[in-house]
Amino acid sequence: MLDLILCVDDDPITLMLCKMVISKASFANEIITAQNGEDALNYFDDLKLNNLGNEISRYPQLIFLDLNMPVMGGWEFLDMFSKHDYPKLFKDCKVIVLSSTIDPADINKAKTYPMVHDFMSKPITKEMLESLKQVFH
Amino acid sequence: MKNKSNKITLLFVFFSILLAVISYGLSNNFHFTSQSQLLQYGFIKDLGFIICSGLFFKFILSRNDIRNNKMFEKMKTNNDEIRESNERYDIVAKATSDTIWDWKIQEDDFIWNKGIQGVFGYKKEDVGKTSKWWFDRIHPEDSIKMAMKLYSFIEQKTEKWQDEYRFKCADGTYKYVFDRGFLVKDDEGNAIRMIGAIQDVTKQKEEEQRLKLLETVITQTKDAVIITESEKSNRTIPKIVFVNPAFTEMTGYKPTDVIGKTPAIFMGKKSIKHEMESLGKALRGKEEFKFETLNHKKDGEEYWVNFSMIPITNQDGDHSHWISIQRDITEEKKQEKEKEQLIRELTQNNKDLKQFSYITSHNLRAPLSNLTGLLNLMEEIPIENAELKEIINGFSTSTHLLNETINDLVKVVIIKDNPSIQKEEVLIKDVFENVFNQLSFLISLHKPILKIELEKVTILNINKAYLESILLNLFTNAVKYRSPKRTLRIFVSSKEVGDEIVLVFKDNGIGIDLERNGDKIFGLYQRFHNYPDSKGLGLYLVKSQVESMSGSIQVESEVDKGTTFTITFKQIR
Repeated sequence: MLDLILCVDDDPITLMLCKMVISKASFANEIITAQNGEDALNYFDDLKLNNLGNEISRYPQLIFLDLNMPVMGGWEFLDMFSKHDYPKLFKDCKVIVLSSTIDPADINKAKTYPMVHDFMSKPITKEMLESLKQVFH
Repeated sequence: MKNKSNKITLLFVFFSILLAVISYGLSNNFHFTSQSQLLQYGFIKDLGFIICSGLFFKFILSRNDIRNNKMFEKMKTNNDEIRESNERYDIVAKATSDTIWDWKIQEDDFIWNKGIQGVFGYKKEDVGKTSKWWFDRIHPEDSIKMAMKLYSFIEQKTEKWQDEYRFKCADGTYKYVFDRGFLVKDDEGNAIRMIGAIQDVTKQKEEEQRLKLLETVITQTKDAVIITESEKSNRTIPKIVFVNPAFTEMTGYKPTDVIGKTPAIFMGKKSIKHEMESLGKALRGKEEFKFETLNHKKDGEEYWVNFSMIPITNQDGDHSHWISIQRDITEEKKQEKEKEQLIRELTQNNKDLKQFSYITSHNLRAPLSNLTGLLNLMEEIPIENAELKEIINGFSTSTHLLNETINDLVKVVIIKDNPSIQKEEVLIKDVFENVFNQLSFLISLHKPILKIELEKVTILNINKAYLESILLNLFTNAVKYRSPKRTLRIFVSSKEVGDEIVLVFKDNGIGIDLERNGDKIFGLYQRFHNYPDSKGLGLYLVKSQVESMSGSIQVESEVDKGTTFTITFKQIR
């Protein structure tokens, strides 16, 4: 079971669904959510500020990231998150792109980011989480 | 000759003396001595007479001789002259290859030289001896004009006679000839004889006609042709020596406007600039050169031309002229631009549409995925209320159906978006095995009789996933629309026909009324049977996938007999 995961989606129903499925599957201890990319980035910035100079002891091991969101979309978030000191500070944080897009270009693009573990189609299911458990024990 | 006359004189003198001596001897024997003195005198007189007459003889003879000699000499020179002239005639006749004719007009006696045999192929015995034979062999279209000219010459109304006409050969073909003649007149000035020489000008005539034909290419063509002189110094653009009518038509410049000048006067300075270097190089190197440029008409209007320059060499192989051909491509340029614009617009439209379909499907899928996710969660929660359970079941079924439909549509969008989707070499056998594995449940459920004939090493250059999807769709269709009256039989075969792969998929199901539905069978959302799980998408997908691989699909069907699909792929190696 993972300790902490982050779900980023603008749709509250999706977030609710994520929470419910994750807890049903006993996939993680704690689930935090963000409404969009900027929201998520702010969360990581807060973590940085609170642990200024020190090693950040607790941060999400996995992010479920939607692509189409207002303010800051998934791509922009990935671009920001792969720059500056983010990859160094949160080196154990992996991303699962969870989207309902069917554009093959999106699927291929997602795999070009080093921190992206996989691209998955919505909706999130227990089976999906079971297979992820094999990778992130 | 002199010796001969001397010999005759001496012989005469000798015999006369002999005779005189004998007669003197005889008369000396039989006559009296008293007469001997008289006899002696007579003998001496005889001798004297003989010598005198001998001398006279000699004189006459030698005079004759001299005259004879003179005559002989004269005849000899005459003879030589005639022979020489004959030889000369023969040589000339041979050398000119002209056919010479000689016509005694009053007697109508017509003589031909050997040319009539050599040039026109007549046999010696076939050649006629009258002028009629000659006239009969003149081409009917030329004969009247020719005869008029000829007779006015014979009647001495005209000074000279020469004419061109067609003369018939022994094999019936006509040769163009050039005939020249002169008249021989008697003392009173009447024409009594005419001598002519016929020259075969067929080759020249044909060449002339060929050149005329070739010339029409230059004069009649819509392309402007410009001939320029080779410039020795290689410093400037060569000067124009000829332009054709199309050039005037195209540019408005008359030949007098441009001859002696350089093509620079109509070349667009702007557009030629970047071609100048390569043009200069071609001019120096005497190489063929092609370019497109914007030129100016006399009135300043601009026009696009395709300009090509070809170097021409003279007989010695020295470069002498440039031939430049200009084709007005203003219209083509315009069309090209319009076409480009159209393609740009279409590409943009297509892109927008594609984007639209992705966004739409995404926006549809997003809430739908929530619905399915929520329903999945709900499955695990026991529901006490029977009515609510029923409602939720219906809710679930509809949601799953909607999801399937959306997923199928997504497939279509992706297929349409990737017409040249990656192709690979696929063993049909492997694909079939894969498909049957996926269908093992259906097969064990309905137990159809399968007959499969696959050619052993058939390799298709196609998309494996699509082929699987096609076979899956056809197979599930066959199961779905089987006849309840009989056991389902499915026949599948694949074979190579020429450079094509032909896949046949045949069943004995309920069939489709093609007369009513023939044009709709592969259409989107076309359903022919009221089955709950039929969406009218399968065959549309099949056709889309087949066509995205440049294949084609045909259907034959009879109601309550069965359906046959024939799929053909081009085998590209």
